[in-house]
Amino acid sequence: MSYALQQIVENAPLLLIGLRATLMLAVVTLAASTAIGVVLGTLATLRPRWIRACVALYVEVFRDIPLIVTIFAIFFGAPFLGVPLKPFPAVALGLSLWGGANGAEIVRGGILSVSRGQLEAATALGLRTWKIYLLVLWPQALRAVLPAYTGLLALIVQSTSLGALVGVTEFLKAGGLIIERSTVMQGINPAFGIYFFVLCTYFAICSVLTLASRRLERRLGRQAGGGATIRAPDASRL
Amino acid sequence: MEFDLAYLARQVPALRAGFLLTIQVSAIAVLLSVGIGLVGACLRVMRVPVLAQAVAAYVEFIRNTPLLVQLFFVFFGLPALGLKLSLFWSGVVALTLWAGAFQVENVRGGLAAISPGLREAARALALSRGQYLRLVGLPMAVRTGLPSMLNTCVSLVKNSAYVSAIGLQDLAGVAFDRIASDFRAFEMLAVLLVGYLALVLSLSAAVRLLEHRLQTPFRP
Repeated sequence: MSYALQQIVENAPLLLIGLRATLMLAVVTLAASTAIGVVLGTLATLRPRWIRACVALYVEVFRDIPLIVTIFAIFFGAPFLGVPLKPFPAVALGLSLWGGANGAEIVRGGILSVSRGQLEAATALGLRTWKIYLLVLWPQALRAVLPAYTGLLALIVQSTSLGALVGVTEFLKAGGLIIERSTVMQGINPAFGIYFFVLCTYFAICSVLTLASRRLERRLGRQAGGGATIRAPDASRL
Repeated sequence: MEFDLAYLARQVPALRAGFLLTIQVSAIAVLLSVGIGLVGACLRVMRVPVLAQAVAAYVEFIRNTPLLVQLFFVFFGLPALGLKLSLFWSGVVALTLWAGAFQVENVRGGLAAISPGLREAARALALSRGQYLRLVGLPMAVRTGLPSMLNTCVSLVKNSAYVSAIGLQDLAGVAFDRIASDFRAFEMLAVLLVGYLALVLSLSAAVRLLEHRLQTPFRP
């Protein structure tokens, strides 16, 4: 164990590179998921049934296929379509498609949680549909989705570890490299200590986000006039 | 590159073996994780000193760490403690520990949903806390918590694909191997898409049906 600790200290720069890649992957994924989520989540609240069906199909497909399969499919499938992707963009794309599906569900729930009177009042005032969304529904939905969104971010951070499987040097991969190196060079296998350290680091990041999510949920739920908040996606939906 | 059905037909035996392994791993992990859920929730609700806190810590830790890292920790890390598990059992143990944490919360949610009147009635009848849980609490908690418990099971089946990351030849593992060795991505990806969608959708349809059935006595 003390050997593992020594390895962690010695390889701190590598671990930091990994941590940076993990956080970058999470930020890129969050941004793209938000874009997909807002668009699809909004479409899912429109009247035409076929639009809602299409969004539901997208959401269902990307939530029901194991994320590991989605990412492998993109990474190994893209070259066959003539567009070879580097590991980082491939993982970011896979995570975003999945995150977008979860984001869409959250946004849809947020918009639907705004009381119907608001929509009716805005319609009565003669606002166009896009103005109703921009000025009335989105701002109010934002409050409702905040806790769930923080929860989703925690799930995204966890999912970035899949990058290790297709060759992104993110945090898990950095840990794996340290283990490999010291096994080959020194003949000592510090897998237990290193992976425990990796687990604890993910725990530190994600539990802060989970705590923030819970606190937001409680605070927003308490505020006078606050509508219902959207439940955070269960980590078991990973 | 066209879709080669003849190639696909030749891979059927391997894929079937992979599919069976997926089912096998998930089935064992489902049973064990439900066990963890029942025991863990009871320990928490009965506030057994030390153990209750340990369960709470376990749940928090699992929920806030990636399944993939947990799997690597079990497979690569635990042998250092003298606990050398085979590929198969590493996968089962990691999936069980992961799903078990969610099952604890599901059962606990079911227990919390029981009306306080029932608990008071049980106490008035001089049932001990253990008797209350065994005779009143758990049967009702499982009934109300069943939909969320089964949803976790569906997720477990889906996420059993993670075991391919340590080299287990489950459905995903077989397909990934074929892509790497035969360069036939489309056929295998189609199999994965159809296979997992069919598995997950049929299981969640079954869950919804059961949920509907369970609510029959409460419908007006």
